[in-house]
Formats: sequence, structure tokens, C-alpha cells
Amino acid sequence: MSLLDRFRDRVGSGSATSGDPLVDDLRAVLSPDRVKTDGAQRSLLGKDASVFDGGSAGPICYPISTNEVVDIMQVAQRHDRAVVPRGAGTGLAGGAIPLGAPIVVAVTKMRSIGEIDEANGVAWVEPGVINLDLTRHLTPLGYHFAPDPSSQQVCTIGGNVANNSGGPHCLAYGVTNSHVAAIEIVTPSGDVVMLGGLDPEPDGYDLRGIFIGSEGTLGIATKVAVRLTKNRPAVRTLLLSFASVRDAANTVSDVIAAGIVPAAMEVMDQRITEAVENYVGAGYPTNAAAVLLAEVDGPEEGIDIDADRIAEIGRANNATMVRVAADNTERALLWKGRKTAFGAVAQIAPDYYLHDTVVPRSALADVLDEIYAIADRHDLLIMNVFHAGDGNLHPLIVFDGRDEGVLERVHAAGGEIIEASLAAGGVLSGEHGIGVEKQKYMDRLFSDADLDHQNRLRRAFDPVCRANPGKILPMGHSCADIQQLRSVPTGVWG
Amino acid sequence: MDLHLDADDLNMCVQCGLCLPHCPTFRVTGDEAMSPRGRIHLMREVQDNNAPLTTEVLESFETCVQCRGCEPACPSNVPYGHLMEQTRETLAEHGEITPRWQRLALAPLSNPSMLQAGSSALAVAQRLKLVPKRLGISAELPIRRKPLQASGNDVYLFTGCVMDAWQRDVHRAGMRVIEAAGFGVTPTNDLAPCCGALHAHAGLSDTTRGLAETMMAALESDRPILVDSAGCGAAMKDYGHLLGTSEAQAFSERVFDIGEWLALNMDDLPRVAPLDLVVAVQDPCHLRHVQKVHESTRTVLRPYVRELVELDDDGLCCGAGGAYSVLEPELAGQIRERKVEAINRQRPDAVASANPGCSMHLAAAGVPTIHPMELIDQALQQA
Ligand SMILES: Cc1cc2nc3c(=O)[nH]c(=O)nc-3n(C[C@H](O)[C@H](O)[C@H](O)COP(=O)(O)OP(=O)(O)OC[C@H]3O[C@@H](n4cnc5c(N)ncnc54)[C@H](O)[C@@H]3O)c2cc1C
Ligand code: SF4
Ligand code: SF4
Repeated sequence: MSLLDRFRDRVGSGSATSGDPLVDDLRAVLSPDRVKTDGAQRSLLGKDASVFDGGSAGPICYPISTNEVVDIMQVAQRHDRAVVPRGAGTGLAGGAIPLGAPIVVAVTKMRSIGEIDEANGVAWVEPGVINLDLTRHLTPLGYHFAPDPSSQQVCTIGGNVANNSGGPHCLAYGVTNSHVAAIEIVTPSGDVVMLGGLDPEPDGYDLRGIFIGSEGTLGIATKVAVRLTKNRPAVRTLLLSFASVRDAANTVSDVIAAGIVPAAMEVMDQRITEAVENYVGAGYPTNAAAVLLAEVDGPEEGIDIDADRIAEIGRANNATMVRVAADNTERALLWKGRKTAFGAVAQIAPDYYLHDTVVPRSALADVLDEIYAIADRHDLLIMNVFHAGDGNLHPLIVFDGRDEGVLERVHAAGGEIIEASLAAGGVLSGEHGIGVEKQKYMDRLFSDADLDHQNRLRRAFDPVCRANPGKILPMGHSCADIQQLRSVPTGVWG
Repeated sequence: MDLHLDADDLNMCVQCGLCLPHCPTFRVTGDEAMSPRGRIHLMREVQDNNAPLTTEVLESFETCVQCRGCEPACPSNVPYGHLMEQTRETLAEHGEITPRWQRLALAPLSNPSMLQAGSSALAVAQRLKLVPKRLGISAELPIRRKPLQASGNDVYLFTGCVMDAWQRDVHRAGMRVIEAAGFGVTPTNDLAPCCGALHAHAGLSDTTRGLAETMMAALESDRPILVDSAGCGAAMKDYGHLLGTSEAQAFSERVFDIGEWLALNMDDLPRVAPLDLVVAVQDPCHLRHVQKVHESTRTVLRPYVRELVELDDDGLCCGAGGAYSVLEPELAGQIRERKVEAINRQRPDAVASANPGCSMHLAAAGVPTIHPMELIDQALQQA
């Protein structure tokens, strides 16, 4: 490489955008080092943890205060550009993937944990606070934040709110929506608004509830009042193994039918268990067709009664092994295995596509059979790991994206899985959101009138579809269409 | 540019992001380009899509501490350390990183007499308060040194370059402890001048290969080789991978961290009254994330101090990173602040660290650091 070439390379794509009035204005309101324009860095923020390619980020902003987010919104308005909020980028439905080279607002520098208000049972936190950091911060005070997505060591509270995320322990405690009292947001027009409040029964419309799960399309959350949940006095964790996935699924519905409300019930099939065990070495049986991880909590007295009943129901469904975690170390290791399951599959193949549908618990076993059959028909490897207690399936297709034509088969199989779940009376998304992934299925679940109302609600917050355009609503509904018109010609921000 | 990265290794990353919070540079910056997932993505962009090596891209690679905290956090077992070493090697070959002044600075490490002269000069300069604070060298360097004498030939003690010149007291303590367990120790002194870890970090792997060959030739036999610097031990355990030969593999298998080896021979070590100290264990990254033998520090220390306490930061790096604290002082300082906060939460009397780099980096921020062997030695001496 000649010296001149190297100089050109060093200056690189940054130079292509210097002098861009949009960037200059953003740099003027933030500090210059918190607005990034490098091409490779923008391609990095063009992706999240999903399989979707094709995102293209415009300038990337790292605000550190609500005021700076307001400033960014105003610059976006002046330049008529879209804005996409981003947390840790662990979304699995492509929610944070920027379409049409928008301004990406990464809130990962807004991460302070503010006042802990024990009287009102809430803590005020910034959106970039990591879920597990929050729980660790609260633990010494006797509390935790109940939603515990498997990605909790990295995902942000802002992302949890935007996706209304759940986790294994949401079976008994409810998903994010039940654990957020109030949210300060910056609207797409740059206003700072408080949604919800600390009153147990706030008056007026529940706009807080509307914002939760809105996937960044109604504005940017800049502060969240999360509810404090008391730590559990005692816990028992059971591991059961089965000779068939059907037996595991039946155990789950029988437990619920028996009136027990476990804190968590998670099932993993054999292939995924093998990969997990290889990573954590928690003592998961790798020869069982399925394992069930069940947890009960409550006061010390009485807790063993529930644990025994679950073991009994398991045995009645042909459980081949029942084990109770001996101590906290063993429990933690078992959960570490469950929570890193998705990542561990790369030991099997380099790419995965994780689905997220919900079916009635009674239909679990049948839908699972159907899912394995769909994978066979498309010659694909599928694994199942799921929040069994609430019927939330996570079929995981693993593949090597470099194989010719494999992506078409993956998407075709994915479509059939969704159809099968809907046919069994299920819904599109358990917890990962709609994002860019499931837009095209929205009209299966909703009528035109339903979608029209959703669109009008969206437009009430965001008349020009500035916030995270191209997500949730399917094509043919105005915000999705407008996004198409608005996208910047390729080559400008590419 | 072809970074010569193995396509399969690169492909193992599924972008789940689980590694992000375990990365010290992501922790302090919140910037994904300074995270493992980000750096892997940039490697792909450069290698597969010919992305230009902009200042930003190089900065992302250069700011990696190479602590490898991302490796145990990764459920897909992405071999991040090797990917980054290879990236740096290619970039150094093309003159993109590790400028001439850095190469010159690394040269004396492989030449003990030059280093001794250098650090004697440094010691004098330090007494005269001429050493810039950013170098993070705070413990007073000794001006004159007594050579280490062999006490037998059961095991080697690798004395290294930086360690030997700057922290010979640690070697002495380590030797006394091993001897107390009934083993004779041969210090390697000039036999094996340097392990080459810092060179490999800087992308000068060829130099490391040369140093590895020298050491393997000098330390022939099947005696275990004990190392009291976690960074050196990790590098020496990697010779098998680096040279790709069965001899190198066999050599690597003879290498033990001194605590790791002692933990296997604890029964031979006299039990004495413990020191009246609350000691926090600071796991050097290359002991915990790379060698994965950090538990042994606890096994060997526990009987010799009043109380051992754990830090609550999941073994996040302290920011020392070999030469990192000198090359990236600002980030290294921010990373250290997090560590100091974690230490202060436990209020220990002393902090045990099995790596000289970490010790000096933390000591420069006022943390009372000490090598675990020195603690055990003190307890034995006191009895
Ligand atoms: C290994 C793995 C396991 C997972 N397990 C679970 C699980 O058990 N349960 C579950 O529910 N999910 C799970 N997920 C999905 C994902 O982690 C969650 O959806 C998480 O809440 C996303 O948080 P994030 O910070 O990564 O958000 P991102 O991915 O960065 O963003 C997600 C969405 O939120 C929006 N957003 C982000 N921040 C803000 C903000 N401040 N204001 C407004 N909108 C914002 C974005 O625009 C985007 O639409 C998993 C993901 C992985 C990789
Ligand atoms: S944890 Fe491993 S697979 Fe996941 S993003 Fe990090 S390096 Fe990639
Ligand atoms: S080696 Fe350390 S600094 Fe580098 S990416 Fe991994 S965790 Fe981050």
C-alpha cells in the first residue's frame, strides 16, 4: 500500500460526511466525539442480535442527558430525518435496525441509577442501565427488578420497556409492563413528557402502557421508574428429565392445571441441552430428550410441598430423573446454562434464527410435534428451548448462512411455524416484539380496522413517523409507507 | 485487507451481545465499537468487505486491552484472543499499528541486561521524581539487586524480564514458599530472558515465536516451570498454539502458575497462624479468563490470612493490560476507577494480585497490592 493510499484509508469514510450540515448540527449539540460517522461503525450499528441484514445507520449519537435527546430530536426535525433509539442491541426481531439511514440514538451512556424510593416502591433509572446491574444494585436493599430476560446481563431497561420483555421468572411475576410505574419520554416532536405516575391508580389514559412495547416508534424513553420487587425468602429449583419432549410439555400443563404457580418453568430439548452443558458444565443430563427446569419460591415453610408436587406430576408423566438443586451455586449454574442457551448454539452452526410465538399451554405438545415436522420437511436443524409455563415457544433454527439457498428455507420454515402457532390459537410474539420480523404477519392477527387504529395511535404521538420508521405496522399502513418515501438515496449514507 | 483471520473462527460469533458487559472498554465508554462484538464485526468488515482502515477502526482495535474477559462470557466459545492477536500481527506487518518507538521500547525486554540497566536508570529517575505519573509506576524500584540462587532442581521458577527487574522480591517470596513445601527451585534468570507476551499483544508475534524457541531450548527436561506473573504464564501456555508443534505443546503443558502448582501440593506446605488481615482477591485477567486457574489463588491463600473477600465485578479487567496503561492512559484510568470502587466496597486491608502489571497499575492509584506468594511467605516467616 502506498503512503498516499494509506493516508486516504486512514481518513476513510469519515471524510465523506464531514461538512454534512446534519452531522455538524448534531456535533454542535452533543460533543463532537459523541457523534460517530465512520462507515464500519455505522455498519456495526446497522445490526442487532437478529438475523436481519440491510440496516443502514446514519450518524450515531451518544447522548448523556434528556436535554441532549431533546436537542437531537430538534436537529432531526430541522433536517427531516428519522430517529432510531438503541439500547444494547440484543433485540431478536430487528427493532433497533435502522432503515433509511436515520440518526441512531444509542442510550448506552445514559446509565445512572438514581433515587431508590422505598416509600413508593420504585427506583428511577436511566434507559441505558443494564437489567442485571439494576438487580445487583438493589439486592443488598432486599429488592430486585423482576423481569429477567435471558439476556439480562446485557440488555437495557430502555430496551426492556420498548419490547415489553419477559424472562423465565415472569411466569409468576408478570412481564415488564407490570414492573414499570412511570416513564419520562422525549416525543418525536421533541417534548419531554411523563407517562404514568407513582400513584397506584393514576387518573386519565394509561399512556405508560401504550409506550411499553412500542419498540421505539413513539419516542425515546429517557428515565424509567421501575418497581421494586422484594427478594424471595426461599427458593427450590428442580431439574427433571424426560424421554420425550411431549412428556415435558404435558408435565408443564399438568402443573398449572393443578393450581401450582411456579416462579419459572423452562424446557430445553436434547440438542440445546448438549450445547449448554458443554458451555457451563452444570450437570444437565445430555441423554434425555428434554429437560424441565422448574422453580418455586415463597416462605420457607410450605415451599417443599409445591416442589414435591411438581416432582410427582413429573413422575406421573414418565420423568426419568428428578433432581433438586442442592445450593445456590448449583442453582446459579443451572440458570446460567438456560440463559446462555441461544448463544451456545454457535457450537453447532454459525447462524441461528430464533422464533418467538405463544400457544395455549394445552396445545404445547402438538405444536412442538408440528414444529419438528416442519424442520424435517425443510431439511433444517431445529431446537426448542422455551418458557413453557406461559406457552412461549422459542424454536431455534440453526444453519450456516454460507450454504446456498438456506436462508429461503429458514424463512419458509419460520413462516410455517408462525402459521402453526396461530392455527393453534396462539399469537405472533411472546416477548421479542414485532420489529421488522413479523410485520408481514400482523394482518393475520388484526383486521384492517384494528391496524388502522393502531396507526392512528402511532400518528398521535408521531405525526410524521419520525421515530423508528418501518417497524411494527405492515406495509400498506401509513407509517410504513411514509418510511419508504422518506428513505435517503443510497450513496449518501449507504 | 486480508487480516489472515480464520473464516470459521470469525463466523462463530452470532452477535448475541452477551459479551458486552464483560468488556472493560465497553463498560466505561458505552460505545459498541469498543466491545468484543463490535471489534469482531469490524474485523469482518475489514477482511470480508474491504472496509477501509479508518482512524476509528484502528482505534477500536488498538483500545482492546486483550484481557479476554469476553472469552468465558461467550457461550459460542469464540476464540477472541487469537483473533485479536492475528489482527494485530497483520496490522503491525502493514505498519498500521505499533510504531517504531513502541518496537524500540519492547526491544530491551528480550535482553535482560539492557532491561536491568534501563530499570536501574528508571529507579534512580524515580527517586529523583523524574518518572511521569502516567507511566503508573509507583512502587519504588530497587536500585541494586542480589541475584537469585538455585536451591535445587525439582522445579523451575520463571523470572522473566519486567518481573525480574522490577519485582524480584516476589520471586524471592515465591521461592521460599515452594522451598517450604520441600521442593528445590531453579530460577531461570538469564536462561530464558522473556516470554514474549507483550510482543504478541503488540502484533509482533514473530518476536514471540523466536523467544519461545529460545526458552524451549534453554529449559529442556521435564521439570515443571512455575510462573509468578499471570500474563507470562498465559503466554507460555499458548506456545503450543503459537508454534503449532508437538514439542511446543509439551512445553506448554509443563507451565504452571505458581499458585496453581502450589494448590496441587498444599499438603506439603506447613500450616501456621494466619496473618491478621482481610485480603481481597483481585484476579488478573490472564489468570482468570485465559489460564482459568484463579480458584487456586483462593485455595493457597485461605489458610494464611484471617479472611478472604471477593470483589463483586465478575473479574472485570483493572486496565493494566501489559503496556496498555502506558499506551491508552485515559481509558486505563477509567477502567481502573471501576476496579478501585469495587475494591473499596469490600474494605480490605490488602489486595492480592498474582500479576505484576495489575499490582503496579493499582498501586499507582493507592491500592495496597501484594502478590499472594508474599502473603504466604510473610505468614511462614512470622511463625
Ligand atoms: C441471548 C438472548 C436472549 C434473550 N432472551 C430474551 C428473553 O428471555 N426474553 C425477552 O423478552 N427477550 C429476550 N431477548 C431479546 C432482547 O434481549 C430483549 O428484547 C431486550 O429487552 C432488548 O434490549 P436491548 O437493550 O438490547 O434493546 P435493543 O435491541 O437495542 O432495542 C430493542 C428495541 O427497543 C427500542 N429501544 C431501545 N432503547 C429505547 C429507549 N430508550 N426508548 C425507546 N425505545 C428504545 C429499539 O428501538 C428497538 O426497537 C434475548 C436476546 C438474546 C440475544
Ligand atoms: S458473546 Fe460470543 S457470540 Fe455473542 S456477540 Fe460476544 S463474541 Fe459474539
Ligand atoms: S479482550 Fe478485553 S478489552 Fe478486548 S474485547 Fe475482549 S473484553 Fe474487551
